[in-house]
Amino acid sequence: MTEDNYHHLYVVIELEDSKLVPVSLEMLGEARRLVNSFNKKYNLDEKVVAVLLGYELKEIPQILIEHGADFVVYADHPELITYRNNIYTKVISQIAQDKDIAKIISSEDLKNFKKPRYMFFGADSIGRHLSSTVLVELESGLASDINKLEINDIKLTHQHKTDGKELTYEKTLEMYRPDFSGFLWTTILCLDNKNPSIERQYHPQSCSIIPGVFEPIEPDKKRKGQVIEYTPKIDQQDLKVTVLSRQVIKSEVDFDRYRAVVSFGRGIKDAPEENIRLIEQLAKLLNAEIGVSLPISKKPFSVNQSLSSKYMITDRVIGTSGRKINPMLYVAVGISGAMQHVAGMKDSEFVVAINPDENSPIKDECDLFIKGRMEDVIPKLVEEIKKQSLLVQA
Amino acid sequence: MSDLNVAVIIKLEPDFSEGNVSYNPDGTLNRAETKNTLGPHSAIAAHAAFYAKVMYNARISISTMGPPIAESVLQMAQRICDAEELHLYSDRIFAGADTLATAEVLKTGIEKMQGKMDIVFSGHRASDGETGQTGPQTAWKLGFTFLGNVIDYKIDRENRIIRAKRLVRLQGFSDVVEEIEAPLPVFISIDPSYKPLFNTVSQRLDFEKFQKEARIRAENYKQYLKVFNAQQLGVDPKYVGLPGSPTIVYKVERIPKGKATRQAEVLDGSNSEHIRKAILKMKEALAAMVVK
Repeated sequence: MTEDNYHHLYVVIELEDSKLVPVSLEMLGEARRLVNSFNKKYNLDEKVVAVLLGYELKEIPQILIEHGADFVVYADHPELITYRNNIYTKVISQIAQDKDIAKIISSEDLKNFKKPRYMFFGADSIGRHLSSTVLVELESGLASDINKLEINDIKLTHQHKTDGKELTYEKTLEMYRPDFSGFLWTTILCLDNKNPSIERQYHPQSCSIIPGVFEPIEPDKKRKGQVIEYTPKIDQQDLKVTVLSRQVIKSEVDFDRYRAVVSFGRGIKDAPEENIRLIEQLAKLLNAEIGVSLPISKKPFSVNQSLSSKYMITDRVIGTSGRKINPMLYVAVGISGAMQHVAGMKDSEFVVAINPDENSPIKDECDLFIKGRMEDVIPKLVEEIKKQSLLVQA
Repeated sequence: MSDLNVAVIIKLEPDFSEGNVSYNPDGTLNRAETKNTLGPHSAIAAHAAFYAKVMYNARISISTMGPPIAESVLQMAQRICDAEELHLYSDRIFAGADTLATAEVLKTGIEKMQGKMDIVFSGHRASDGETGQTGPQTAWKLGFTFLGNVIDYKIDRENRIIRAKRLVRLQGFSDVVEEIEAPLPVFISIDPSYKPLFNTVSQRLDFEKFQKEARIRAENYKQYLKVFNAQQLGVDPKYVGLPGSPTIVYKVERIPKGKATRQAEVLDGSNSEHIRKAILKMKEALAAMVVK
């Protein structure tokens, strides 16, 4: 029976410089909401388990409990001071399969416990790779860059998974991921092979979660939880990487230094090079930094090398796969307003969109919609700014 | 004989460049009408491998899993990195693989390459699937030390050690460049910001020499090409393709339009009075900052 083998939702916490990365608390918030409704729906008592690796962790386990964790399993060891893929993968996999830990968490002896039921990671420089290697070690499936989650019983027919028969998969994590265009949602499921000829169990059902998407819960100092210290088994083979130095650097593109940001999207397509030049002019007069939408970072247009390497880069992307910004003035030029982009600019104080299509989603996300082609509108704006000499104030 | 063996894993992806990409009216990718090409991140991985050729005289192999037409991207990548061995893993049973099942094929193939690999490169992520999981999963299956987001590297051939810089970018923190050292073999997922630098005249001469060699090899790429089906590769059909994939795509839907968060005032871009108003509003928005 698979029912006895897999329990609880494990959340892999991330630290940078011994401080919590915000996505950790966001994941705990979503885990708390999901497990609450899961327990109610199935009349169960499963837990949110935070898995924490680091060195001199002090009050961090307590913070995690205040933010929704029922249990914090932590490994505090000098070798775990910064993330290194091999050793982190091993220790997290040990914790995930540890029967003694599962026994404490479940307050009953789960003889058949094998692995967590669900597992969350952050979709960032740590979690993206860590989730990949942990899930090879745990031999299960992984969906990346998720921004919506649900747990349901799912009835389905699948050539391989069910051998063409209709079967029900109980307590299945539906993992929604927006595609690169931002217009499509793909739901990924991680399912056991119930087909007798290829029978296999796949747990935990796991995903990496886009930072900035979910809300943490309101921290509650009175929340009760239990902290479990885990002594990691450290093999020298997993310590091959030596960190020689860590240096903080400023990104070449620093949106925070600017009051205004002008971004452009695929709407530049009719005359990419000329349009980028126009956008540069407008940005200069507004003293604005220049941002782009995700599709632009894929270099869809051929423009000269210097423009391409200056602007069509991931460093300038505004949105869930790039930067989240909140300037006083945000000008979206030729951007349709896909959800992913909106997530990166929605906190701007005042939003202007320049777009010929009044039906594009950006219209619902802006304060001022200037209807027209950028080729026509920007030169007029530039002329008017010069007239009003906005430059003095900006 | 080279004393440094390097492999690159690459992917055939939709070509997002204008004229080759086709979008449906609703803004989604029209896959049937879109051409295919070597993925941009795969190309960066090939450049990173070529750096090892120029600097350390590495022997380079390239592999990909895909349909028969994917041999064209092996050729494209060979033109970048002067590879001497091209592997295509192609079988109908590989179709529909998720990252775990793809990693199983790539791992098995890499182990079939001539010589033991010292470094394997992958791109940061594919521009269509965008998971970024296949690289690290292949690394773990190979038992190689995994290094992600690498922006620079140097090899100490005598001691068989790599020194690399990794870019760490986390929500709410300034970017960090981490310098690390590790014994070979390693698996490197190369950061999109990687740029090879050739400083000395002799490095640039080697660069040009091998570039020329790469062009000639790529013209005759078929003589370097080995195609493997599942049986020739020796993979267990249960661990590849759809049967070996824990995950499935359950449904694809249009993301529902959210509630309007702002009530836009619509201005006519061809009306000069409207333009004047727009600038006044923008000016106001910026002035509010000063007061704040």
